[in-house]
Amino acid sequence: MGGLAIALGVSGAASIIDRLEALRFLAFLPPVLNAIAAIALIAFALSILVAAYQYLAWRALSFWIDDDGDLRIQSGVITRNLRRVQLSRIQAVDVTQPFAARLFSMAVVVVEVAGQSDSRVQLKFLTLTDAREIRREVLARSAGLSGDTQEAPQNIVATVPPGRLAGSLILRLSTVGLLLATAVIITFSYLSEGWGGIAVAAVTGGVPLILVVSEFIRYYGFTVAESPDGLRLKYGLLRTESRTVPPGRVQAIDYVEPFLWRRRGWARVRVTIAGVGTENSSSSNQQETLLLPVAPLEQAHDIVSRILPDLDTSTLTWVHAPRRAWKRSWIQWRNLAAGWDEHTFAIRRGRITRHLCALPHARTQSVRWTQGPWERVIDLATMHVDITPGPVTVSALHLDSDQARTIALYQADAARRGRRTDRSLHWGESARGNEDR
Amino acid sequence: MAGMSTEAAFTSPDKSAPDTWVRVSPKLVTARRIVLLIWAIPTLAALGVALFLLPNVPPFVVIALAVVAVVVFVWAWWLIGRRVRSYAYSERADDLLVSSGILFRRLVIVPYGRMQLVDVKAGPIDRALGVTSVQLHTAAATTDAAIPGLVPDVAADLRDRLARRGESRSAGL
Repeated sequence: MGGLAIALGVSGAASIIDRLEALRFLAFLPPVLNAIAAIALIAFALSILVAAYQYLAWRALSFWIDDDGDLRIQSGVITRNLRRVQLSRIQAVDVTQPFAARLFSMAVVVVEVAGQSDSRVQLKFLTLTDAREIRREVLARSAGLSGDTQEAPQNIVATVPPGRLAGSLILRLSTVGLLLATAVIITFSYLSEGWGGIAVAAVTGGVPLILVVSEFIRYYGFTVAESPDGLRLKYGLLRTESRTVPPGRVQAIDYVEPFLWRRRGWARVRVTIAGVGTENSSSSNQQETLLLPVAPLEQAHDIVSRILPDLDTSTLTWVHAPRRAWKRSWIQWRNLAAGWDEHTFAIRRGRITRHLCALPHARTQSVRWTQGPWERVIDLATMHVDITPGPVTVSALHLDSDQARTIALYQADAARRGRRTDRSLHWGESARGNEDR
Repeated sequence: MAGMSTEAAFTSPDKSAPDTWVRVSPKLVTARRIVLLIWAIPTLAALGVALFLLPNVPPFVVIALAVVAVVVFVWAWWLIGRRVRSYAYSERADDLLVSSGILFRRLVIVPYGRMQLVDVKAGPIDRALGVTSVQLHTAAATTDAAIPGLVPDVAADLRDRLARRGESRSAGL
């Protein structure tokens, strides 16, 4: 039996060598072409392998809801992996469509579970209708309702028109700067008739173009909808993403106003969500912490007030950095301040790109007061409010030293009061009958 | 705003009453100076050997290097004393204050309800001298509340007290 196999193998190899003889003519082609052909062949073979693996992975995936009402997911081709997800621990269920999947109206269901790392379960791939059906059922069950409850309606509260999105991407200092540089280079090349600069112009003009187009495609049709399990964000031209922002886990908000947006009154809104975006700092992380790519400030405030109803940055008492702070920060000193009211603590910083970071007192983890050597010389100090890791840094820079101390003290007390009275914390958990956190 | 008592507790350790702020054990100075010696002696020896082996080193270079080495060493020696003396902590009703630093001064306020875990650590030299460090962690990575140089009994007591208070005041994220 073994001998036969070897014999077959040998004869097979011999016939392959015969065939290879027929490929002799390749030797007469330029070596570059051969190399390209070889690479293409290898790439093709690899993609076949990947596709085969993906197919097997898809075949191997199965999931069901067990007798205890938990979601069970079995997956893995080589290593079998059986996972049990407690439905009451589910943070969000989203349906996303990668580009290729979208062509065939397939989708991925992403289940976010409370936890630190590897807390995301992806079910790929399903038909779009099945995906929506599973989403509805898992959500209904995790809310403690029966599996055939209809999904609560969601109403759209904001959209980003494509024109504004494109405008906001072009009106960035980096884009404008690079495009201006390109114009200058082209003009000089034209005047001096030395066309060597064109290669540089292709880079300085091409890079911002690619960035603008790719971000435009990514955030095209950005929609914010309100649903019972949080704000639901939906976006993407080729690849549609959908994410749910659970309000109870939002820790802090950052309104970002780049220099060229300010005339139009636009802002970008970033959020720190407990347990999201802490694993790495990749671009997917950038996406996960974005609440709105661009919106008029009023609309941004309106959206934020839906997640954190008590957070109102218009009625705060502000303490500004003293005049002498210019010796420490000669550009941004005019826009350095800390502000607070009964529910909110906020800071302002940045001159060219302005930031306004705000959080409810109850989300304070700890408070720090720091003073560097130069700050000490001019009697300044910085006060930080520590929150869970994420894109928002709440640091009131370079205030008067004693004032910073007083504010830090105030904040420690306010945080304690906030924790006692905070109800939004149990949003989600109480709704799902799970109080053991 | 808080009442006068907390206000007083909040002022820097050198101004406040000695009973609210607790300083760390002076043994930490010895422990850190030993670590300094462990680093400094081989470095200085290597420098000396290198100077001896290199041909044609002008004598003023040797003198200058020696002076710099001695100055840095003395400065580091003195700084250790200052730094250790700058560490102080104060247990208030609802939070722990930790104050430290000379060049970069800082004060950290950690509410008991926010503590996620309390680390108690001691390296080999620390153990030989009987000093332990207690570190508090919250859900924020930037919380930097370490109290080095506590006598082991004090550290254990502090840890237990903190854990107890943390439990009774704990809050979710």
